Amino acid sequence: MVSLARLFRGIRQVGVKEWWHQMQYIGDVKAGTLVGKDQFGNRYFENLNAEQELPGRHRWIDFAQHDLNATQVPAEWHSWLSHIRKDPPTEDKLMQNLSPPWKAPWVENLTGTRGAYRSYNTVKPKIEAWEPKVSARGQSS
Amino acid sequence: MPFARPSVALGLYARAAITRPAQLHPSLVAYRLLSTSSPRLQAEPVHEHNHLSGPIKSPRTTATYTAANEPDKYINPYKDGPGALDKAANLFFFTEIVRAMWLVMEQFFRPPYTIMYPYEKGPLSPRFRGEHALRRYPSGEERCIACKLCEAICPAQAITIESEARLDGSRRTTKYDIDMTKCIYCGFCQEACPVDAIVETQNQEFSTETREELLYNKEKLLANGDRAEAEIAANLHADHVYR
Ligand code: SF4
Ligand code: SF4
Repeated sequence: MVSLARLFRGIRQVGVKEWWHQMQYIGDVKAGTLVGKDQFGNRYFENLNAEQELPGRHRWIDFAQHDLNATQVPAEWHSWLSHIRKDPPTEDKLMQNLSPPWKAPWVENLTGTRGAYRSYNTVKPKIEAWEPKVSARGQSS
Repeated sequence: MPFARPSVALGLYARAAITRPAQLHPSLVAYRLLSTSSPRLQAEPVHEHNHLSGPIKSPRTTATYTAANEPDKYINPYKDGPGALDKAANLFFFTEIVRAMWLVMEQFFRPPYTIMYPYEKGPLSPRFRGEHALRRYPSGEERCIACKLCEAICPAQAITIESEARLDGSRRTTKYDIDMTKCIYCGFCQEACPVDAIVETQNQEFSTETREELLYNKEKLLANGDRAEAEIAANLHADHVYR
């Protein structure tokens, strides 16, 4: 964003340290209310004031990891960040009720690492290689 | 733009309105001004000619003519000022340019509308069709009953299913493979499923470095469902009134 007024207003609101942190990542100074924090330490912000944030840019995340990617957002917060659900998962009663006890922990997309998913067959293979049977010498029968 | 457009249009309109009556007879000026001048000019009292009293007159160029006025003679109705084409050209072509330049200047001072992915994201629908997942019942039992309707309807033939009876006698899939490189994300499989087992989640960030990682088997699909069940169930609930 180009507006100098916005820049100085943002620095005044979030402080110089946070501003420097934001410039290293999102590259823009954004001030808003902290909506919540997920289990990985990612922080989620919202600013509904259309004068300060353009509609569509009003929800954002500050990743906990330096090596960040979009799949580090767990599913519940993903649906808040993608504007699918109105309320954050901390306040969303419906999503909390629908959350089952056997819910698996969230893992990010591990492609390119040793944890990457590798496909395998879940049934007995239909085609088997020929295994020659060799009878011992001298015992012709 | 909201204030700019009227001001530009008014400027030219006012110019056209002023040049035109200036060449007319003074007695007609008050007459013309009624409809074309701004209310500010109307506020001046007109002493010489009160248009509300006396005979009603038409402007000179639209008067009723008698034989003495040579009614057949062609009279150019625009001879007293710029023609309709001139005015149209002024109004439309010139103001178009000015308005376009104004638009450019406004955009120059506006903040750019760039969504800073992955920090910010564009809106998705609860019906968004992304990566597939197999769901479970709240008890933890897997939903899929190996009816193979999804396999039958899949237009890309991306789904492969094999089934067997489990020890307790219920029919389950032993193989549920989706080739995500074949899939066209049409959503027919989740429409066909009678028990809402196969669904397309709202996750679109499942890109991989090798093609092999996109050949999903049953374990991967169930794992997708297990970790995102809260989101899937909430989205299905949000949409259930339309189904
Ligand atoms: S979304 Fe369409 S193409 Fe993909 S697996 Fe389902 S039915 Fe097949
Ligand atoms: S996912 Fe649904 S449609 Fe496909 S085999 Fe299982 S129950 Fe049938």
